[in-house]
This record gives sequence, structure tokens and C-alpha cells, in this order.
Amino acid sequence: MNGSRSFNDRRVGVAALLALALVWQLMSVLFPMEIVPGVPMVPGWQVVVTRTFLSLSNFWEGGFGIPAASAGTPPSYGVAFLSLLFNSLDTFRRLALGFVIGGGIGFALGLLLSLSEWSNRFVGAPLRFIRALPLLAMIPLFQLWFGIADFGMVVFIAYGVGVIIFTSVINAVPRVPQIYRDNARTLGASKLRTFYTVTVPAILPEVRSAAVIAVGVGWAAALGAEYLGAQSGLGRIVVASEAFGYLDRMFLTAVVIIVYAAISTWLVERGFARLLRWA
Amino acid sequence: MNETNDRTAIAVHNVTRRFQRTGGGEVIAADNMSLTIPRGEFVCLVGPSGCGKTTMLQMIAGLLAPSEGEIEVDGRKVTGPGPDRGVVFQKDSVFPWMTVIQNIEYGLKCRGVPAAERRALARRYLAHVGLEGLEESWPRELSGGMLKRVAIATVFANGSRVLLLDEPFGALDYVTKHQLYDVLLSLWSEDEQHRTVVFVTHDIDEALLLADRVLVFKAGHIAADLSIDSPRPRNTESLLQPAVVAHKRTMLEHIGLRPSGGTA
Repeated sequence: MNGSRSFNDRRVGVAALLALALVWQLMSVLFPMEIVPGVPMVPGWQVVVTRTFLSLSNFWEGGFGIPAASAGTPPSYGVAFLSLLFNSLDTFRRLALGFVIGGGIGFALGLLLSLSEWSNRFVGAPLRFIRALPLLAMIPLFQLWFGIADFGMVVFIAYGVGVIIFTSVINAVPRVPQIYRDNARTLGASKLRTFYTVTVPAILPEVRSAAVIAVGVGWAAALGAEYLGAQSGLGRIVVASEAFGYLDRMFLTAVVIIVYAAISTWLVERGFARLLRWA
Repeated sequence: MNETNDRTAIAVHNVTRRFQRTGGGEVIAADNMSLTIPRGEFVCLVGPSGCGKTTMLQMIAGLLAPSEGEIEVDGRKVTGPGPDRGVVFQKDSVFPWMTVIQNIEYGLKCRGVPAAERRALARRYLAHVGLEGLEESWPRELSGGMLKRVAIATVFANGSRVLLLDEPFGALDYVTKHQLYDVLLSLWSEDEQHRTVVFVTHDIDEALLLADRVLVFKAGHIAADLSIDSPRPRNTESLLQPAVVAHKRTMLEHIGLRPSGGTA
């Protein structure tokens, strides 16, 4: 039952994506105007997978004995692929580091402050204020504090992810049913053991939901940080393309990012699946 | 009533418990109560909801502190929960994030019992409650009655000499309930030295089937203290014996119901 249902879900999903791609193609025919000569406002797939993809060779910074595009390496599909791969890896590295550091600190800090009811209440009010701060508006602040190099971007992503995980922990701990703590205490568990055998596993379902949201926020933070001053990464390709009106490159990068975001969400869900077999 | 000797398992001395009502006023759930329960006795606390029977059980468990007075279990003053007093709760208390066998082993693990030994003990009690083969199941896969079996196996495996059960079977159907009476009583009588059991219920028939002694609670007082000496094993037929019917009549009167029906 369940298997056939998820199979059907997948078929519907694939059909919807194909329909979207088809609508895009239709729009490219209906609106053939160009933003700069040779670059259509709505680039059709026949442009995106050929000329646009090839042009990613321009972002090749050199390596593997192949000189950088700026040093005269002619565009080719191979170089374009390498260029996309390495720029993607740069973004991935920043995102993964920021996610692990921010998620780890947010989780640990949330648990620490939940140890006493008093500290939990104490952080409640400022937390609502901090959550209301628009994350992306703070990029310039973080750049001045931590620099525009990798370190600054990682700190910024960690902040965005950390706030979400921290909030979920602070909210989830007081909602763990008292009966589980009572059960543990009457069976002889110390306060510390009750904490790591009852409180921590009991909040994991809520932390999983927060982590999935944090993946999306992490991508926004990573790209946002890269828009402002990165020397590599997918965000830099978008900004550099915008400067010259290369709408097709921006579109291709957006499609690639959507695929990556889906993959990273799936990875996080897989990571939690084992921990939450019981739920 | 107040003397304590080495046969005494639970001694409650002049215990009062008040609750503040939201919006002012207070409720007295236990009003200067004293009682002693000897070792090995199966005692049922019965009474309508709000009579203070669950409050008393929680105070003995150490989950609730008395406003005045003190409670001793095996001669030691109760200051908090502990593994010497096992509790089976009204609601489901089995940890959903642990397998059945991990749940039963939990208390033993807390006390540092070696892995092989606690696994063997847990398996024995799991078999005793009729759940062999379900070691690795998750609690979500179990019915309400099976979860109660796990909870019972857990407290018995933990070796507590005093067991406190708070309306454990209230939410179960008639047949399951009667199956669990058998499970509980066979575990209780298995030990050479019976464990002391305090069982809270609002069901008079349940009390008459299980207890050596019934304490009828009414508004924070003990209204009646009855010895049920009907022979064991008992069944639904036992409830029809004249002595048992007489007990039932007494209990109903104390609770405020006329045996013929209607309120007194």
C-alpha cells in the first residue's frame, strides 16, 4: 500500500516538474526578446544546456594542469563541468561547515539553557527579538565583523542555522511529557541520565523539522553571503552574470541550486531517519 | 494505627497536602492522614475522583511532597522518587524511543547491572507478561494492553519491593483488564516474600478481585479500612460470595451510593 502510494507520489512529482519545464520552454518561444544581444530574457532549454552551460568555462580558475579561463583556456564542456563542480564544492563546503557548526552550537546551547526552567524563561524573550531580525539584512554586519573570506561566510551561515535549531530546542524541551521524566526517576535514573535518555531523544522529532527548515535558510545564507564579495561559489556566478546581463547563466545556476537544495534536504532527512526509527 | 515496626513497609504520619486553586482558594487532597501498610500486603485505595487517592500514591512515590507530615518506606523518610518504589502510571509511560527490551532493562541499567545479567532478567519478565518474541519491537507497534504489560515487566524486573500502581488499567477493555489482573497477581505471588502493592482504582470490583485490604478514600480522609479475606485465586464468581457482597455494600455506602441505585 505504502510503497505504491510513494511510487505514485513520485510519478506525480516528476510529471509536475516536466510540466514546469515545458511551460518554461513555451514562454521562451512566446517572449523571444533579448536582454543583451544573444541572451534571451527567457532562455529556452536548447540554449541553457548548450551555450549557457559552455559559458560556465569562464568561471574556471585553473587547476589539474588546465590554465584558468582568464589565461586563455577555450570554453569546452569538460572545463565547464569542472568549473561548475568546483564552484559548487566551494558553496557546499561553506554550507556544510556552517550547518554543522551552527546546528551543533544551537543544539548544545539550547539544551544547556533548558537545564533549568529559569534560564529557559530568561532566554525566551530576547530569542523572539533575535528571530525577528531579518537574517539577510545582517550580511554586511557579519562581513565587517568576520571578513568576506570563507570564515565570515561560514560564521554567517552558522548563525542563521544556529538560531533555528536553538529555538526549536528551547521550545521543545518544556513540552516533553512529564510522565517520561517521572518514569525515569522512579526507575532510578539520575537527573543527568534522565536528561540524555529522556529529554534529548524526546525532542529529536521537533529538531528534525527545524533542521529541514534550516537547510533552506542555510542555502539562502550561503548564496546571500556569496553575492557580497565571494571569489568563488554558485552565488558568485549569479552576481558576476548579473553584472553583464547573462540571464541564462543566472537561470542555469538557479536550476542547479534547486537540485542541490533538494539533495541536501534529503541528506538531512536521511541522517535523522535512523535516529527516529521509533517515531 | 501509628506504630511502626520492622514488618511495616509504608508508614504515613499525619500527612496533609493542599493545592492552590487557580483563581484563589485551596483544595485539601489529604487531611492529616495516617496509615501503615505491612510488608507483602496488596492494598487498594478506592474512592471517587478528587478524593485524594492518587495524591497519596504520588506522595509515597516521592513525585509530590506533603505540605505537612512525613512518609516512611522501609524506615526511610521519602524525599524523592527512587527505585525502591516502582510506579506503574495511569497514562502510557513506556519510552517510545526505546525498544521493548531496552525499556524493561532501563532501571537495571541505571543501577549498573551487567549487560548479560540484565538482558536475562528482562527476558524472563517479558516472558512472564506474555510478550516473548517482542524484544526488538517499538512501543508504537504495541496495543494499550501490551504497553501496560511492558510497564509491569519493567517495574518487576527492577526489583522494587514496593509497587505503586495508579489506575493502571483504567483505559483498557474488560477482557484485557482481566487478563492483566492475572498477570499482575501471578507476578506478585511468584515471590516467596510478596512485594507490597498499593493499587489506586475507582473500580470497586477491581479492588475486590485484587486486594488483601481496601482503603476507601473520601475527601482527603480514610472512610473505611476493610480486610478482604476471600480466598485466592478469585474470579468474577468470587464477587458473588456473601462476604464480598457485604464489603461491596459497605464501600458503596461510604462512597455515597445506595447499593439499590441512586445517590444517598
